[in-house]
Amino acid sequence: MEVEGGAATAVNSASDGARLRDIQSITDAALSRLDDRELLTELLNRTRNALRADTAAALLLDFSSGQLIATAAAGLEDEVRQGVRIPVGRGFAGRIAAEHRPVILDRVDHTTVLNPILWAKGIQSLMGVPMVAGGRVIGVLHVGSLTPRQFTSDDVELLQMAADRAAAAVRSITAQADRAAVTALQRSLVPSALPAIAGVEMAARYIPGGGAVGGDWYDVFTLPSGQLCVTVGDVAGSGLPAAVIMGRMRSALRAYALESTDPAEVLSRLDRKMQHFEPDAMATVLYAVFEPGLDRVHVALAGHLPPLIARPGQPAELAPIRPGAPIGVTFRARRPVTTVPVPPGTLLCFYTDGLIERPGEVIDEGLGRLGQAVTAQSPETACIAVMGALVGSEPVRDDIALLMIRRHEERKADADA
Amino acid sequence: MPDAGFPVETISGLPVVVTPAEVDITNAARLREALLEAAAGGRGTLVVDMSQTQFCDTAGIHALVSAHKQAQAEQGELRLVLTTPIILRIFAITGLDDVIPRFGSLEEALTAAASGI
Repeated sequence: MEVEGGAATAVNSASDGARLRDIQSITDAALSRLDDRELLTELLNRTRNALRADTAAALLLDFSSGQLIATAAAGLEDEVRQGVRIPVGRGFAGRIAAEHRPVILDRVDHTTVLNPILWAKGIQSLMGVPMVAGGRVIGVLHVGSLTPRQFTSDDVELLQMAADRAAAAVRSITAQADRAAVTALQRSLVPSALPAIAGVEMAARYIPGGGAVGGDWYDVFTLPSGQLCVTVGDVAGSGLPAAVIMGRMRSALRAYALESTDPAEVLSRLDRKMQHFEPDAMATVLYAVFEPGLDRVHVALAGHLPPLIARPGQPAELAPIRPGAPIGVTFRARRPVTTVPVPPGTLLCFYTDGLIERPGEVIDEGLGRLGQAVTAQSPETACIAVMGALVGSEPVRDDIALLMIRRHEERKADADA
Repeated sequence: MPDAGFPVETISGLPVVVTPAEVDITNAARLREALLEAAAGGRGTLVVDMSQTQFCDTAGIHALVSAHKQAQAEQGELRLVLTTPIILRIFAITGLDDVIPRFGSLEEALTAAASGI
């Protein structure tokens, strides 16, 4: 902790031994037993001690803003408390991140350092290195001395070792935070409890593929007219980025649903919005609007698989709905709308491709299996049957969203709005 | 072919990429890079030969669509060689038939005039 600038006066063998201990303190396997955030703080403490420095700090790159954000510190806690942000390319830390190489400063003032906390603290010398993971700079680690000091190439090497260790810890923290965020997003966007809607019964399943998370979703809502609307979609990609796009699409589609009862028009507007604001995204979407009274449903597809329809006493079949181009593919897409009769007691099965696609198989084989499992019964029983028959105990390779809607057997007088 | 890259060959002046047996989330990102590079390297137009491919998921389709969009931005197009029933069916069902021009053989794809789709 204290300033011990005298290390350089030690004889060689003693200093070699000390250096070995310094390296060990940073590479110590025991560090791995700490949780990641503790590890980062403990690593900064050890780095500061090993380098006989007075301060140590880690700034992490926020990719969306291109700024470095002070995340952990030893002897420089104000940096973290005040949420210091340094644009990449500017100041001391910004330069390290931009140039991807170590920087040593022998003069610390407003001309060399952007962050006033560093000069106010009285730091005289600074040394910083980039934190690199997967070939990209993800942050900067720096140490400072309150007395003037010449950092050596050995010092840089030791700090880089600490930065590599920190980068691995940060990667793991980020992955955990992403998982937590996606789970929270999905809970809010793909609610397990479906709304109660007069005249129909519903059940659903949502399984993120491979334990990861993704961009599949379903949504059920009513318009001010009382008309029932259903969406199922699948954003290409995985993890938090796909889940974020999914959230935006879901709410945009709801907004356009209020403006038009034509499902193709709603999908066109959604497509235009996506191509303008998320030009790299692609998604498949099914959007269905039931007539008041539920006798018929109007469906438009954007690259999505058609629903299965099971009428009472009949085997399920693929609803004969004309295909349309996915969202995010072409500006010219005008998607056809197909109207499907829904007699009382009919079950509709909406799903994403993860439920039926298997390598080496024509998609119709999976659709065939699904058709055998679906019958016009209670949606909950139908979900159990479908998941049992199509997923069973296989590990799930892709996200699966499944939504079953069954019109009540008898007409409900209150169903027409 | 695990971890094989996606070599780009030039045939009759057009870049041609042959896709492996399966195109899915595990290799779609690399395919996408290879296609974008091929699209940028040529005069915009490129050929993707999927006649060996037996599986293509949403991630694979996304890679093709991205490359097609980039090719169009450069006044070119992505020409798909599709022969296997599995992939033909996926393209029909996802409404991509009208979006990306497709051909029954590499020869046709190489000699076709721009479709203007």
